[in-house]
Amino acid sequence: MIGTWWAQTIAVVRLEIKKTFFARRGLWIYLLALAPVALFTMQAVAVRTFRLADPKIPAGGHILSQQEVEEIKTGMTREQLVSKFGPPATSRKRTAQKFDEDGNETSVERENMRYYAAASNVNLILENGVVSTTFINRRFTFEQNNYAFAGVFQFFFIRLAVFFGCLGIFMNLFRGEMLDKSLHYYLLAPIRREILLLGKYLAGLLAASVIFTASAGLQMIATFSAFDSNTISRYLYQENGLSQIAAYLGVTVLACVGYGSVFLAAGLLYRNPIIPAAIVLIWEAANPLLPALLKKFSVIYYLKALCPLQIPADPGMPALLQMLVSNGDPISSYLAVFGLLALSIIVLGASSLKVRTLEINYTTE
Amino acid sequence: MNDQIIFDNVSKFYGDVLGVNRVSLSIPPGITSLVGPNGSGKTTLMNLMTGLIRPSRGQITILGQTPDDPEKLFPLVGYCGQFDSFPKGLTGYEFVSSYLRLSGRDAHECDELAWRAIDMVGLREAANRKAGGYSKGMRQRIRLAQSIAHQPKVLILDEPMNGLDPLVRAETIALFRSFAKDGCHVILSSHVLHEVDIISDQVILMSGGYVVAEGNIQSVRGEISEQPMQIVVRCDHANSLASRFFEEDHIVEVRMHHDKKSLLVKTSDPNRFFLLMNQVALNGHKLESVAPVDDDVNSVYEYLIGGEDGVK
Repeated sequence: MIGTWWAQTIAVVRLEIKKTFFARRGLWIYLLALAPVALFTMQAVAVRTFRLADPKIPAGGHILSQQEVEEIKTGMTREQLVSKFGPPATSRKRTAQKFDEDGNETSVERENMRYYAAASNVNLILENGVVSTTFINRRFTFEQNNYAFAGVFQFFFIRLAVFFGCLGIFMNLFRGEMLDKSLHYYLLAPIRREILLLGKYLAGLLAASVIFTASAGLQMIATFSAFDSNTISRYLYQENGLSQIAAYLGVTVLACVGYGSVFLAAGLLYRNPIIPAAIVLIWEAANPLLPALLKKFSVIYYLKALCPLQIPADPGMPALLQMLVSNGDPISSYLAVFGLLALSIIVLGASSLKVRTLEINYTTE
Repeated sequence: MNDQIIFDNVSKFYGDVLGVNRVSLSIPPGITSLVGPNGSGKTTLMNLMTGLIRPSRGQITILGQTPDDPEKLFPLVGYCGQFDSFPKGLTGYEFVSSYLRLSGRDAHECDELAWRAIDMVGLREAANRKAGGYSKGMRQRIRLAQSIAHQPKVLILDEPMNGLDPLVRAETIALFRSFAKDGCHVILSSHVLHEVDIISDQVILMSGGYVVAEGNIQSVRGEISEQPMQIVVRCDHANSLASRFFEEDHIVEVRMHHDKKSLLVKTSDPNRFFLLMNQVALNGHKLESVAPVDDDVNSVYEYLIGGEDGVK
């Protein structure tokens, strides 16, 4: 019997997987998954363009101290700068046209110079060999990059992209077929409704996991591309980088497991996806405010505990954001994985009771 | 194993709207037709049999199985409904074989059964095209192939002749007959009464969610006592026979055909009429034929339900 059920589950997954991956109405899910990839790619391009991550110190030059940075003033000459701080890391000269106070057009020689300080880039514009403008960019360290990634991962990727992606994928598993008037195909087959539910859930989970873990992986590649290979190797092999990557991918899959079960159940209960989306979104956001017992009936409660980096709460943060960042009731990773799986199984169990009595009534859809 | 399809006081309400009410039936093997106007509850009855909807009251068993257990029910039952949607992207062949795969069969067996069913409905050439692009008749045939592919004992067909051309229609009727001959149940609904008349072993007449009559069509006709039975008698001395008929109190009306050789007789008591005909024959009248003319589905339908919309 177990063999038959397994074969039936595989048959459902085979039928569903193509529909789930290539549904025209699911195009927005790919866009949602690719949005943070685009964000991190743009960041990487900016970081590389402005050499924010990767200072190249020329021969005879050095990293400026904070005191040296403060010594740089407008009106200094090029010779003074070079004698004091050595040759600039980068320099580019060009001739530009400028209008003087009397409105006469004059030609000036403009030079863009850059020195590197410990945590910033010092950019200078010199006109005819004299500093006219200074501006300082804070440099982007790998540690900052990790926190930026962790922030986007927790507050955009998991809470919004995976959340709404799972809404689109899992709610459609039954609801979509009801709207297409094709659900009877399954309900007329000699297959237990619970097996049908399991097959559809696994197909949705496979699709969601592939789409969103691929997105998380591409996000990481995009962020890493801003840094040199030595920095990346150090992170991967000496600073627990590999285990962090595994944790991010695992959290992504578990998010699909948790939200998938919730939205599969919602698809059986609601016709309009906006209502369950709003209810679950508010419930998840309000998790820090809930009593200890109710917190455990939330997916984000477990995911937050599994994220490898906790975002440090900044004193200047808005209260609402501080509340979201805080992890007032931390639990161990093992307990979090077990809790999330248990929650998903409970929700799927409740869904199987509903699916057993599911009726076809296309005319009222 | 019980070989009957049993409805035990079954009612189905869609909110306040009546689907079917207090239906009690016991359907034996053979071809059974559900006849009734639109909205009379035929499709509701079929959906109840297949578990697509649940009864509000009462119980249904199909060869001893309840519709609540698809794993046990659908190896026995094939349903070709009026649902005209197909799972996206499937070819005709995939539509049938994927359905078979859902039962847990291996790929080779599914392949064999699928092609066998596709051949039975004559759709082999088009089987590898997307089912969504089929014509109405082809869609009907591939649905029929899907419903018979697993060789069910009960075949439930909602308007199965819709969209079929006359040749395929005749082949399909032959297919249903062969199923019935093998001891299967073929339950079909149809608006086309002359087809029902040709193929049915029994009929279930429905109106407004109620079963108005059920059984062999002639016996159903016999039960309608308020409508005099119409019988055509062909004989050599029609005039004298007509005057003999007027002596009987159960004869309501006698009309003579213009060829003077046929009489259309209306009688309120068919049993006494046929006894009378025995006497007439014994008295030396030469009778060519004595045939009831209103014991077909059309007439029974007309008497019990009336000429409502949607019935030909």
